[in-house]
Order: sequence, then structure tokens, then C-alpha cells
Amino acid sequence: MALRAKPAISWLVAIAVMAALPHWLNAYWLHILATSWYYAILAVSWALLAGFAGQFSFAHMAFAAIGGYTSGLLAVDLHLPVPLGILCGVASAALVGAAIGWLCLRLRGPYLSLFTLAFALILQLIIIAEYQFTRGSLGLSVPGLFGGNSDLPYYYAGFVLVLASLAIMGALLRSRVGLFLRALREDEDAAEASAIDTSYYRILVFTITSAFAGLAGGYYGHYVGILSPNIVTIPEMGLVVAMAVVGGIENLPGAAIGAIFVFVASEALRSGGQLRFVALGLVIMLTQRFAQNGLVVLAAARLARATRRRAPSPKTATG
Amino acid sequence: MLLSAESVTKRFGGIRAVDDLTLTVEKGELVGLIGPNGSGKTTLINLMSGALVPDGGHVRIDGISMSGKAPHVFARSGVGRTFQIPRLFRRMSVLENLITPALALKRTYSRVEAEHKAHQVLAFLRLTHVAALEARALSGGQQKLLELGRALMLEPRLLLLDEPFAGVHPKLLDQVAERIEELSRTGYAIVLVDHNLDAVRGLVRRLVVMARGRTIADGAPDEVLRSVDVIEAYTGR
Repeated sequence: MALRAKPAISWLVAIAVMAALPHWLNAYWLHILATSWYYAILAVSWALLAGFAGQFSFAHMAFAAIGGYTSGLLAVDLHLPVPLGILCGVASAALVGAAIGWLCLRLRGPYLSLFTLAFALILQLIIIAEYQFTRGSLGLSVPGLFGGNSDLPYYYAGFVLVLASLAIMGALLRSRVGLFLRALREDEDAAEASAIDTSYYRILVFTITSAFAGLAGGYYGHYVGILSPNIVTIPEMGLVVAMAVVGGIENLPGAAIGAIFVFVASEALRSGGQLRFVALGLVIMLTQRFAQNGLVVLAAARLARATRRRAPSPKTATG
Repeated sequence: MLLSAESVTKRFGGIRAVDDLTLTVEKGELVGLIGPNGSGKTTLINLMSGALVPDGGHVRIDGISMSGKAPHVFARSGVGRTFQIPRLFRRMSVLENLITPALALKRTYSRVEAEHKAHQVLAFLRLTHVAALEARALSGGQQKLLELGRALMLEPRLLLLDEPFAGVHPKLLDQVAERIEELSRTGYAIVLVDHNLDAVRGLVRRLVVMARGRTIADGAPDEVLRSVDVIEAYTGR
């Protein structure tokens, strides 16, 4: 019982700390954290797609752009309320995600990655070329989700979205769907022979993770107030992959923490100029070499071991 | 008749891996399918389980054509299979490997029910002690048994076992053979593929021999093994 209660307590403490954190933050760091929620949702959903279902897609930022631009254009051109626009963005990202998932059914490994990368680049070019709708490289100004100039409501809204995303995707992984997705990652032919409709689950995981990317895009657009084709660039996609890898590609909370860590670290090291990217690159290389499950998982395992050593659990704890 | 392959053909480029072959399997039958390397045995198993789509002919289950159906439809129709080289969900536990097909088969199955059934299968296969281990931690023989268990979780009527004895430690060979015999006694139809004559002849009551994508003999083991064609196929004379 005590063992089961520990993760719940850790979660509650983490939530309480993050909820209280804005009291100690200046406006700049509040903005950094509010922006990091966007990356956290992207890293978590990409970890579900790549780490658990084995689908290494590079179209994730494209789905964020679809969510963001759909919501932004509906708000600008049709004056739709922002929350409704975000929901439409989520729906359109899910719909395109389902179509891409269907198109990629026969593609594996590097072929899937190349296909999705090409899709992202095409979408970026469309956003630039269709400037009469999207304002192209100038960027599309979109209304905010909340009135006023404070970042505080966005901090809490983004935080709730990250928690909700973790809860929904975590529940999915604990269900039979999670089991099927992991089976699909391990061996697709064996999964088929085990009565799993792998086509259905591949499309399903693409749809769900694209919807979350669309949600992230909607939140980001209405927070920063401007959307540009830069969100679909390869470096942005690389950043999300790095966040998931550093945090733990097979651990959803790890991917979220990885996203916040990488984004905050890159801002904290801003004075180092381009050298900060060298430092981050080294961290990613070392993570890949020495902690394939991510730094967060490694740190949590070390912490658990140290705690056990310091206070050996009584016999009753397991009995 | 439970499963029938009717005039099935499968070509890979210019090679006819299975060439206008007809084979039927009755309910509860234990059939040995043997032949030299490259004779088309595994291709036939892949055709009979939906992993490959025939270029010609039909595969039927209970008389219903399964043409173009995906392997998971075959699995849901009662066809369980193993692979020549075990293809397990390597980073999932032994128990998870077993409950996965049960949960995929029946949406009404709860996880507790699936685990209860998995423990019965583990006991039958003498694998209870490794239930919590990752599948990749098992020995070669245990992996073969686990793959058999995974197929059994589908509650199949027909088991297609592709070289279940290959790479198994001699100490475990008898255990694998005993399990197959017991399954046959309890009413499962089984097609047992092997290129090793000795491993199969003692187990089965019907032996089918393949060479160059065709059946060259089909009947009682002793009778089949006396056939001139079979001797020629194996010795090349």
C-alpha cells in the first residue's frame, strides 16, 4: 500500500511545486515555462508514437502547425471563439493524422521517416506559398486565448493541458491498446498473428498523437499571438526528438520533463551563443550512449536505489 | 474439413515457391509437413496463415474463402501459428506476451481473465517460473514454448508450427514433443513443419512431403518414407 502511494505523493508534490512556482518567477522565466508546455505536449505525444508504437514520424511539427493554423485562421477569418477554434484545430490535425497514418501503412523504419519528413516540408512550403491565407513568412497574427498581457493564465492553462495529455495518454498505455501498440513496436508480423489488427492500431496511434500535436499548436499560436512556417522546420522537429530522447522515449512523464529541461537549459545558456547547442548536442549524444532510456528514468532509478539503501523497507511493506 | 489450400501458387520473381498445391487438414488431425530446405514449407504456412496472399488458388477455413484476408482475420478464425525463428514481443514480459492475443481476440475479456488463462497455459508449458521475465531473457527452447503458448491463447482450432524443434536444447526436445502430442490428444488440428524426418515421423499419423513447391507424397509415415520420390527428393538421386 505504502509502495503504491509513493508515485501518487510524488505527483502531488510535483503538481503543488509547479502550481506555486510562478510566485518566485519573473516575467521572463514565466514566459519560458509557459512556452515549454507546448514542447512538453509535443515531446510526450511523439514519445507515444515513436517510443511505444515504434512509428518514427518526422511530421509531428506539421500536425502542430495544422492545429495552430486551423485555430488561428478560424479565429481571424470567421471570428470563431478561440477555445472552439482550438478544438477544430485538434480535429483537423487528427483527421490529417489519420490520412497520413493510412498512407504510411506499408512503410516501415526509414521509409516512414522519409515520407513524414517530406510531408512536413511540403506543408511548410504550402504555408509560405499561400500567403494570402496564411500571411506566409510574415506570420499570421492570431488573438490570444485570454485577455490582458499577463502570461500567468497561459502558464496554468498550458500546465493543465500537459497534465491532461499525460493522464489521457498514460491511461491509453495502461489499457489493452497500450499492450497492442507495444506488441506492434516489437514485431508487427507477430502482432498480426496474435489477432491484432495492426493497420487499425497504426492509424489510431497516428490519429491520437496528431490530435495532441494539434492541441499543442493551438495553445502555442494563441499564446505567442503569431504563427509562422518556422514551427514546421527540421530543427524544431529535431528539438522535440531531442527532448523526448533526453527525457525518456519510453516514458511519458520523462519526455515531458525532458522537454522542460532542454528548453529551459537552452534559454539559461543563451549567453553562450551557439555554444549552447554544442552543449545540448553533447548531452543528447551522451544520453544515447549511456542512458538509452533517458536521463529522467536513469535519475529516478538512481534515486529509488539510494532511498532503498538509506531506509531498508520493513518486511511488512511487501507482505 | 477445417482448412483447405486449393491449387495455391506463390511466385517470388521467377521462382514458384508453392506450385499449384492442394492440401486439406481435418479437425483434430496431426499432420507432419516435411521436405528439403527450399521446398516451400514455410511459404505454404505463410499462405495458410494469411501472412502471404496466394498468386493463384484459394485458402478456405470451414469452406469459407479467406482470399486477401489479413493474418489477424486468420487468427480470429482459429488459426494459431509459430515462426521458424521465434518472433516474440521481446521487451514485453512472458505474461504480457500471452495476454496480448487473448485480449485482441475477445473485447469482452478482462485483463484478470486473460491473466488467469495465461497462467493455465504457463503451467501446461512448464513456464510458470519465468512469467515475470522479459521474453528476450528466455532460452531458445523456452522461447519456442512461449510462442506455442501465445498461439494457444488464441483458442485455435488449427496450429501451424514452423520447425518447433529447431535450435531447441536436447534436454527440452522431449518436453516440446510431449506438449505437441498432448495438444493433439485434446483435439487441436496441428500442422507440424520440419525438415528433420526423425523429429516428425514418431509424432504424426499423416506425413506430407514437399519438393520444389509441390506435394510429392501424402499418407501414413512409414508408407510415405518408402516412396521413391521422397528418397530422391532427400538424397538428390
